[in-house]
Amino acid sequence: MVPYKHYGLLAIVGLMWMAGCSSPYVENNKIEEIAPVVFWSIDKGTEGKLKISTLVPPLIQEKKRLLSKEVDLLKQGGQEFNLIYYRELKQGQLRMLLINEELAKKGGIEKLINTILVDPDISMRVYLLIVRGDFDEYIKNQLTKQENQDYFLYRMLKHYEEHNQGEMSIVNIHKFMKKVYSPFKDPILPVFHSDKNNFNYVGTALFQNDKEVMVIQDVDDNIFQLLDNDHFLKVLAIPKFSISLGRIRSNVRMKLSRDYSSLSLHVGLKGRIEEYQGESNIQSEELLQHLIHEIEVYLEEQTSDLLKRMQRLKVDPLEVGTHSLKAFSKEITDEQWMKHWENMKINVDYDIKVHPLINGAVDVFQNK
Amino acid sequence: MVEKYDPQMKNHQMSAWLDELKQKLNHMDDAEIVEHRMGTSASVYLVYIKTLIDPERLNETIIQPLDRSAGDSLSSCITNAKVSDVISIDDAEQKIMQGFVLLNDSVNDQWLGVQLENPLGRAVEPSQTETVIYGAKDSFSEQIDKNITMLRRRLPISTLKTESFTIGSLSKTKVVLLYIDGLINPEFVSLARKKINSVDFDQFLDSSQLAAFIEDHNHTVFPQFLQTDRPDACAYALGEGKLTLLVSNSPFALIAPITFFHLIQSPEDYFLRWPVASFLRLIRYGSFVVSLTMIPFYVALTTFHYQMVPLPLLYVLLESRSKLPFTPFAEGFFMIITLEIIKEASLRMPTKTSQTLGVIGGIVIGQAAVEAGFASKVLIVLMGISAIAFFLVPNYQVTKSMVLLQILLLILASFLGLPGIVIGLIGILAHLHALTSLGQPYLAPIAPFYGKDWNDLFIRGPLIWMKTRPKYLKPLRKWRQEMKK
Repeated sequence: MVPYKHYGLLAIVGLMWMAGCSSPYVENNKIEEIAPVVFWSIDKGTEGKLKISTLVPPLIQEKKRLLSKEVDLLKQGGQEFNLIYYRELKQGQLRMLLINEELAKKGGIEKLINTILVDPDISMRVYLLIVRGDFDEYIKNQLTKQENQDYFLYRMLKHYEEHNQGEMSIVNIHKFMKKVYSPFKDPILPVFHSDKNNFNYVGTALFQNDKEVMVIQDVDDNIFQLLDNDHFLKVLAIPKFSISLGRIRSNVRMKLSRDYSSLSLHVGLKGRIEEYQGESNIQSEELLQHLIHEIEVYLEEQTSDLLKRMQRLKVDPLEVGTHSLKAFSKEITDEQWMKHWENMKINVDYDIKVHPLINGAVDVFQNK
Repeated sequence: MVEKYDPQMKNHQMSAWLDELKQKLNHMDDAEIVEHRMGTSASVYLVYIKTLIDPERLNETIIQPLDRSAGDSLSSCITNAKVSDVISIDDAEQKIMQGFVLLNDSVNDQWLGVQLENPLGRAVEPSQTETVIYGAKDSFSEQIDKNITMLRRRLPISTLKTESFTIGSLSKTKVVLLYIDGLINPEFVSLARKKINSVDFDQFLDSSQLAAFIEDHNHTVFPQFLQTDRPDACAYALGEGKLTLLVSNSPFALIAPITFFHLIQSPEDYFLRWPVASFLRLIRYGSFVVSLTMIPFYVALTTFHYQMVPLPLLYVLLESRSKLPFTPFAEGFFMIITLEIIKEASLRMPTKTSQTLGVIGGIVIGQAAVEAGFASKVLIVLMGISAIAFFLVPNYQVTKSMVLLQILLLILASFLGLPGIVIGLIGILAHLHALTSLGQPYLAPIAPFYGKDWNDLFIRGPLIWMKTRPKYLKPLRKWRQEMKK
């Protein structure tokens, strides 16, 4: 006869396996009855409260409206939204968390992010953004102008994250929290400026633990993209020399002295000149080399200046501290590293190799 | 038990048997008892059923030779047909019903039987249920002898043994058990023999009915005998070390022992280039899973797990579901049943009306259901994919039974979401694991594990690599190559 004991055995194994992965009590989430929100915008409210806003209904061709609530706790916000809206708001599809810069400067956003991070419904790939200005006003104004503004915002962040665009520093909560909790690493977040009509990328905010200490922008942000974030830039415009370098890839090498007193930073850049509006004749090899040398010096100065500011503010987003780790030796503590970092002498050296400004971009001239 | 001819019976048999036969054939319009006068003064009684015999052959084989005979014995008159003795009245009755013409030999005072069965039947036609592009186009028909001929031509060896059985108290159906002696595991033969001998039922109109009596597990949707009307598939199976059962008046042979994986494999797999055949086989396995789980997945995701849907797809789902009156389960169930109604109707309807069905089915399922707000567009697309995927499984019986499994998973998904589907799949897997075909495990060569047989499991490996016969069948001759004997 059939060994029916296998049924029971396999069912038990299956149930045990599933108990480890998910709860057997599934929550009713009929999609026509819920409103999965795509973003939460968190601002400073009155009397130490938090002001939470979101757009409903998300992703449906119905008239949209912005919901805002002042609450003490983040989850309270979600609960109170449900009381004023006919569909239950669900956070399972949360894709963006926008935090006002005022809050970020004050510190303590770690707790907010942790709330999101530990929610099993919410994915780890929630983009974190710092917003300078009033985001609610922007969304409210856009409601009549463009449908699904929240979705397009998400697609924009996804695009710049995935395709290594070298344009923006896009960070999700997992990456952010990993850096918050790791030694020798300081997190970064992108900063966007928002007013009634615009929502634009400003630069990268550098954090000391969970507190924003500085924002780097323009050339500094470009340098930061090359040094750490993407090691790639689509365009590096240097107005001082009327030149735009394109498709730049960087090769960064750091060397710490044994006593951590000095750091030599070598940055090799490879790219092409995409635009030149200056007076120098760059068809001439000699003048071109001169121009490139000038650019190298300029970038070295800018980088040194940027690093000095980081040293002054005791932040190390470039993770230089990880170079202090060696096999078979005791690692230094984060505090010890910061002391070294503050007083470190940094030598920056740039080496730029550019393709000549001709059609076809052959390597012939470069290899001469 | 075979009855022996008893010469003592001779004297009283002639008249007594005739009376008895007359009584037995009473109220049978097509039964004929004719007295035929031979050239000499002697007369011969011919007893037959005219609807069972070939009248032309009767004339050629019996009437004309009898007219020409000059007092010879009956058996010497009839030269172009096999003449057999009739040993008892029961034998006489049986022979008449099998298309024999009975003659009484007054000289020798005995009854003789001449088989003149009307060879009524269709010609050899291509298989309608298992079509292939390449490979042989012939298929079995209702005539069992013709079917055996087809197999004998493919396996012209004396070790291909045939054993006959008669089952069914009313239908007297002939069953032939075929196997290659010295190759097949003898356990299979003795088990099959035992099972067939123990069959006790009145009528057998198709081989599937026989399968229902001799299979190991009745309460399952999975067949344990592979039904096929392709002689090449049967010959291949015999050569692998399986046995085949042919049933008279049924064009479908039964092959056993089989595994679950045989249901997904097609005879054509062995005629194509191996990478192509493997690719197609993988697609078939994939479509088996897709067809089972696609609609339940839709129900689980739209009812419980909205988090798992990619955002752009969620957008589409929300749009399509926002104004529907039914729950995802009701919607899915309704569409599955509708599709089954259409599929069933297309089988039963006369071919000339099938076009109407196509149009109505297309409009009802495709357009009207969406426009009327009965079903979402996404579900219609998924239904379409899943319905097509069903037909990729070559075994029609499995295709039919898969709908039941799909509904089971759908119900589980509507209560428990994805864990429900997982529980369902585990249940199906456990059930498959518990099944046997002719005593052999249904999930071999996975459980129990036979590594070498994996060469012809999910992929169809190159034929030159298939040097051994499937190990799970425990054949007496392991190697396919003569040299390695």
